[in-house]
Amino acid sequence: MTKNRLNANFQMGQRYGSHPQDGKYPGRLIIVEGIDGSGKSTQIDLLGKWLKRLGYVTVFTEWNSSPIVKRTTKRGKQERMLTPMSFSLIHSADFASRVYTQIIPALKSGTIVLADRYVYTAFARDSARGVNRDWLRRVYSFAIRPSLAFYFKVPLDESIRRIVTGRDQLGFYESGQDLGLSASREESFRIFQGRLLEEYDRLTEEYGLITIDATETIAVQQQKVREYVEPLLPGIMQFDNHTVPDALARTGLSGRYLPPAGYRRLTDPILTEG
Amino acid sequence: MPVKTPAFYGHIPLKLGDKPLPGRLIVIEGTDGVGRSTQIGLLKEWLETEGFAVSDTGFRRSDLTGNGIDRAKRGHILDHLTLNLFYATDFWDRMERSILPALEAGMVILGDRYIFSIMARARVRGVPAHWLDDVLEFAMVPDQIYFLDVDVEHLLPRVMANRELDHWESGEDFLREPDRYASFVRYQSALIKEFRNLANQYGFETIDARRSVREVFEDLQKGVWTVLEDMKS
Repeated sequence: MTKNRLNANFQMGQRYGSHPQDGKYPGRLIIVEGIDGSGKSTQIDLLGKWLKRLGYVTVFTEWNSSPIVKRTTKRGKQERMLTPMSFSLIHSADFASRVYTQIIPALKSGTIVLADRYVYTAFARDSARGVNRDWLRRVYSFAIRPSLAFYFKVPLDESIRRIVTGRDQLGFYESGQDLGLSASREESFRIFQGRLLEEYDRLTEEYGLITIDATETIAVQQQKVREYVEPLLPGIMQFDNHTVPDALARTGLSGRYLPPAGYRRLTDPILTEG
Repeated sequence: MPVKTPAFYGHIPLKLGDKPLPGRLIVIEGTDGVGRSTQIGLLKEWLETEGFAVSDTGFRRSDLTGNGIDRAKRGHILDHLTLNLFYATDFWDRMERSILPALEAGMVILGDRYIFSIMARARVRGVPAHWLDDVLEFAMVPDQIYFLDVDVEHLLPRVMANRELDHWESGEDFLREPDRYASFVRYQSALIKEFRNLANQYGFETIDARRSVREVFEDLQKGVWTVLEDMKS
């Protein structure tokens, strides 16, 4: 299997569907997918730390986190106002907002964007709720195609074991209880997550997601992920990890307008995680 | 009373197509200040006198997204795709939770604006038309769409007589004109042009709204009476 999924025709900045293309972006977009309890968030976190240690500028974005939209989503969930279609639409608004305010600017500036969940989460969850598959793809056609898309595949029992031991109560929508699958939240969760696994299998086929066996140890999985990522790194924006005062000190300048060398302000790190 | 199953612009969202709907959905489209709400008020009074159960409240802001949209617009921080997906959510929520139940109950719904106002405003702001058409294809095809067509020359005195020119209705969120008057004229001209394109694409019944309220109302009365023909018992 090729370690680099970037085929000859791939150009960072391409959309899934016919939307205005505004050129080739110098950055990289790496996304992770998988059901709850697959360990994908752990893996992307480890990947981010490794990349930062190597001196690469990374920007992290996660599902359902747009500051403008998420209040509405939260309220809709709390009051259980969301139906499959409005659930789908409000998440697409959240995603669009992050594409335009976080992802595209970061890719244009040449950084590595790490996304915890991407369009495939919408495709899997909304299809499992009965939303039209073809329509979903057209709604999300504005999204930027990723450089690498990992799918952390885990059997249902294993993911449930991890969630039960490590997390708070299951949510109403996370368990698919809005679909009336079962009166028991646990049972509903099991049925809904099972459906998501089937959807992810379809998506793996359709989009060539890189499947990582999520039952292996965290270290082994991370090693595999890094092998895919490594060939993408040459040419990516790096920064020397110095603070502003350090940089000033190296110029040999001093004076009343410049802080003394070694002096740190809270805001000193030049670039922090987005 | 004859019952029909609804038609949609694209795919049928989630088996909604199976539900028989005895009501009727009549929509009035047209640009800002053209007199839509005046005509809807007149139609409502008249239809109630004729014994129909009428609802004209269906397309106000939804509980789900109303506040979120207002908040976001105040901040001017939304890109056009996000804003339109927000509008789409809002529209769907109203359709699902207020319009469809009213149609099931056999009411006549008078819609002040529909998906086409969202489309027209988005198109003049450069949102790809095919994309938003796709997104909004979940909308039910109304029984009739009336388009109150007017040109800017006739629109201006009507708007000026009632209120001052509004920031959003002048397209000041994306146009850069020397003053609000210039912005209003440019924006409304573009908007009216898009409404006319949509009238062709989606088969609106165009009504010349340069005429008096009385004349426009008489045209609407004739049309609506035909649409409701088979509801009269």
